[in-house]
Amino acid sequence: MAFFLEVLIGGLMAGVMYSLVALGFVLIFKASGVFNFAQGAMVLFAGLFFVGFTELGVPMWLALLLTVGVMVLLAGVIERLVLRHLVNQEGIILFMATIGVSFFLDGFGQLIWGSNVRQLDIGIPTDPIFLMDGEILIQSFDLWAALVAGTLLAALVVFQKTRTGRALRAVADDHQAAQSVGIPLNVIWIIVWAIAGLVALVAGVMWGSKLGVQPAIVSLALKALPVLILGGFTSIPGAILGGLIIGAGEKLAEVYIGPLFGGGIENWFAYVLALGFLLIRPQGLFGEKLIERV
Amino acid sequence: MSETSGKPDGRDPLGRDTIPKFFAYNARHRRDRPSIREKDLGIWQTWTWGEAAGKVRHLACGLAVLGFRRDDKLAIVGDNRPELYWSVAAAQALGGVPVPIYQDSVADEIQYVIDHAEVRFAIAENQEQVDKLISIKDRLPKLETIIFSDPRGMRHYDHAFLHDLEAVMAKGEAHDRAHPGFYDEEMAKGKGSDISLICYTSGTTGRPKGVMLSHDNVVRSATLAINFDKISETDEILAYLPIAWVGDNFISYAEAAIAGFCVNCPESADTVLQDLREVGPTYFFAPPRIFENLLTTVMIRMEDASAIKRRMFHYFIGVAKRAGCAILERKPVSLTDRLLYALGDLLVYGPLKNVLGMSRLRLAYTAGEAIGPDIFDFFRALGINLKQLYGQTECTVYLCMHTDTDVNPDTVGPPAPGVELKIDEATGEVLYRSPGVFVGYYKNDAATAETKTADGWVHTGDAGVFTDAGHLRIIDRAKDVGRLNDGSLFAPKYIENKLKFFSHIKEAVAFGHGRDYAAVFINIDLAAVGSWAERNGIAYTSYADLAGRPEVYDLIKGCIEQVNRDLSSDSSMTASQIRRFLILHKELDADDGELTRTRKVRRSTIAERYGTLIEALYSGQPSVAVESRITFEDGRTGSFKANLPIAEAASYSTMRKAG
Amino acid sequence: MSVADKKIGDVLLKVENISLSFGGVKALSDISFEIREHEVLAIIGPNGAGKSSMLNCINGFYHPQQGTITYRGEKRKQMKPHEAASHGIARTFQNIALFKGMSTLDNIMTGRLLKMKAGLIASAFYKGPAEREQIVHREFCERIIDFLEIQAIRKVPVGRLPYGLQKRVELARALAAEPTLLLLDEPMAGMNLEEKQDMCRFILDVNDEFGTTICLIEHDMGVVMDISDRVVVLDYGRKIGDGVPAEVKNNQAVIDAYLGVQH
Repeated sequence: MAFFLEVLIGGLMAGVMYSLVALGFVLIFKASGVFNFAQGAMVLFAGLFFVGFTELGVPMWLALLLTVGVMVLLAGVIERLVLRHLVNQEGIILFMATIGVSFFLDGFGQLIWGSNVRQLDIGIPTDPIFLMDGEILIQSFDLWAALVAGTLLAALVVFQKTRTGRALRAVADDHQAAQSVGIPLNVIWIIVWAIAGLVALVAGVMWGSKLGVQPAIVSLALKALPVLILGGFTSIPGAILGGLIIGAGEKLAEVYIGPLFGGGIENWFAYVLALGFLLIRPQGLFGEKLIERV
Repeated sequence: MSETSGKPDGRDPLGRDTIPKFFAYNARHRRDRPSIREKDLGIWQTWTWGEAAGKVRHLACGLAVLGFRRDDKLAIVGDNRPELYWSVAAAQALGGVPVPIYQDSVADEIQYVIDHAEVRFAIAENQEQVDKLISIKDRLPKLETIIFSDPRGMRHYDHAFLHDLEAVMAKGEAHDRAHPGFYDEEMAKGKGSDISLICYTSGTTGRPKGVMLSHDNVVRSATLAINFDKISETDEILAYLPIAWVGDNFISYAEAAIAGFCVNCPESADTVLQDLREVGPTYFFAPPRIFENLLTTVMIRMEDASAIKRRMFHYFIGVAKRAGCAILERKPVSLTDRLLYALGDLLVYGPLKNVLGMSRLRLAYTAGEAIGPDIFDFFRALGINLKQLYGQTECTVYLCMHTDTDVNPDTVGPPAPGVELKIDEATGEVLYRSPGVFVGYYKNDAATAETKTADGWVHTGDAGVFTDAGHLRIIDRAKDVGRLNDGSLFAPKYIENKLKFFSHIKEAVAFGHGRDYAAVFINIDLAAVGSWAERNGIAYTSYADLAGRPEVYDLIKGCIEQVNRDLSSDSSMTASQIRRFLILHKELDADDGELTRTRKVRRSTIAERYGTLIEALYSGQPSVAVESRITFEDGRTGSFKANLPIAEAASYSTMRKAG
Repeated sequence: MSVADKKIGDVLLKVENISLSFGGVKALSDISFEIREHEVLAIIGPNGAGKSSMLNCINGFYHPQQGTITYRGEKRKQMKPHEAASHGIARTFQNIALFKGMSTLDNIMTGRLLKMKAGLIASAFYKGPAEREQIVHREFCERIIDFLEIQAIRKVPVGRLPYGLQKRVELARALAAEPTLLLLDEPMAGMNLEEKQDMCRFILDVNDEFGTTICLIEHDMGVVMDISDRVVVLDYGRKIGDGVPAEVKNNQAVIDAYLGVQH
């Protein structure tokens, strides 16, 4: 029992990391209907800049601030150079565009900062914590990650209630109507991409301190895909819950079902889970049911 | 035969004999208790008795400044609004007579009432009503002044005869300050025998008649009813029925002032159900149609609910149907049922009542039409004290009411306190004497003499019988009760009501007087039959198409045969089993004069318009051709030609009722 | 009677020599007309005459290749829709553009976005001035709800409302912005007679109560003749008539256009 709990908690904590990436996807998809393939690359990009700045001897807080600046700037550039010219285009074209952005970010980041694995230590304690008379072991790093994710989520919820948050919801719902009530589409897009960039930064820092900042983060970030399928593309709570389910599911599967296949199912189990789910509830856990009215 | 209850007279021990005197009393003794509420801009606004009495005072003085005198009539037209109730009191305080008018009346109907009642002053709720009044003003030389309550859209109206209610009140306030004793003197001059109200009854035939009720009629009847049901100042009601209907004036105005309870005015006609939920009245009056609609809404919601919820709902409704009514009437019930009912209350009835706005309801009445026993028992089973009431405008609302412990859906209860009833042996008509007996029809002594006998008995026009338990059962309008050719009794409405209790049947018109057998026209209920057709894969293009479908005929035939079986169990009714019927190609409509505004069938109009169809019912032919003009919603007209099938229904030999 | 004593003011918006084409297809050619303060101006014309394109130019959705639009005495060439909105131009759409996931009230509140002042941080904590501001805006929206008689659907998600009511909510949202110029693209399309009458009454009341200048596109000639002060007629992207309803009704070119005479 204790072992099961330990695996479960470990899985949930890993899931938090997936949720962080998925959150970035959801924010952009909700506001602009764009499936942002570059979200993974943004995580690496943010991580690289952050670790790069610290390696240059910039203090941690300033490095964070500078990276925030970089991500906001990036949002502006993406809007100016890509999105603005593709307004009213098909979703698939925008999707292709984000693939382009993804490769660009991947390459550009490494061009500046190199492609070797960099260790990142932001001072989060990594000692294990024991629960239930030492029967369960959790990494205190994981707890910190959960805390950070929770704070981020709370900030997003509060943000939704603001004037900008209302504007964001309006844009997500109907572009034309939003413009007609005076919401500047371009500004909103920059805001959304900047927020997604900030979420990517948080994810990048957390992933980076756990695994080191390295290009493999990009493909790891694609784990957000099954999370999105589970949680729905438009739901923030869905992204969180989906991440937790995927995280816990794959750890438990690895430990309990894994041996039947000779191990190593952790890498693909999430996709199978998502596929199975897709068949039952295609709109995701919290996704909006698509009702076509005649 | 005569049934009498004791003779309490309902006179006020404190000598308050007009409603304005109760306002004055409440202003002193219930000054800070809520008197009336209105939802405005999404928020409930409350006026205390102290404030309400002040408004009445200023309004009355304002009317006096404009020249309103004793015995003047004040026409009032609009929805349930505090200002309109206050204007009733203001007119009465000055010794005038309020004449409320149905807010959905067309200009011609309003013209008749204002002309007949010789109205000099009118208060209208809003622009819509003012426009109607202005459009007929030229033909109403006696109408001098129109006061409006809602100034919206009125900015450019510059007629000299138009006044803003606010401005009138301001004038009144100034007048009151200058002559502080004026209002109280005027109010004190009022006495119980003065006319307090003229209500124009819609009437199934001819022009409406103005029923004059005295202050005594209203005050005494209301006092008796308040004592009967122990109504108190802590009660709350929702005022949503037309103010022109005597019942609304009685409950939302007279009873409210006498008992001192709070009246809530809905935000708009469309929001009544939401407002009901928010207010949670303790005392509720609704025609059967509203209870029907509520039940339908509940059932439709349950269809959409999850399987578990649906199961739970049906199970506990079963429990409620078994034990609920008995528990409500404090009769013995097994312990298991009592426990199950308590659980059901927690899981189903409580939440359901909450959604319906009936959580706090302790007294509910229905009247006006027969209510389906299923609907009636459904609400009682939930623990709602729903009772029937029978009466009319001429008797000041009620004659019979169920007591809390003795309720029967087939009857309207025993005679109410102070009411004497008897049934005319020859015609079966119900006659009464009571403190509520009206003074007379305004400017129509002939009609008054026809209705009121010399010895004080009043004809109700309804045919009824007394049950062994001493309850009255109404079977039909006395004049509509006829005889088949074999001499047996034929009560068309009794048959029609039985038919209308089927959800698939919206209206029915029965024929049989002076004929060999009974036959009916049926109007299907488009929503119910439409969804039935959908479930059974029957395609249809229009109402007329659906109505003519053989499958629908079979469906209706089933209903009719059910009614025939029912009729066959009653020896006096068995002869009027329905032999032939047809389904009408159009809905009977109040706009076409086929129904009254209160949705009662106008037999004479129907007999005239559908004469050939009626003949066909008795000719033995299998179908009949019809052609009629139709007015579409966009104003175009077209004609409609079709062959309506006529179907036969099986009848049954007389059976003895089991037990 | 409200129309007779209404004061029609100066030119509010002037369209001069507007031409618009999409990839060589001319949608509008050389259109000029004026919208005066407090008037109800109807733009009519057969299908494809360029009416909606004209509205889209005024509102900034389209940018005409030629010509100028002068609004409140200021010439403007390119203006984005949100800029038009912040200059007091509100509109409704032919195919209803509402925030389908939000309630009626939220839709109308969103219409007040431009009027909301409280900054990001203040409104995030939802206290003090921000809360008071919310109350003021809510009250304004409630007045509109009352005005358009949509109390019963205040909390209903608009996606669930019938068509006629959605149109009304859209009008409510446009009114929430307290516009100077209100553009209505076929406000009565697809409505039954009763709904049309209600909508006419609302349009006239808006014009009357708030003095809002209204420019509307409408197909129903009866409606147009009843409620507008002036009518501009377009056909095949050209203006073929401009005047008070009575004049326009007797204009031969207009009659031809409506009867389908070949060009």
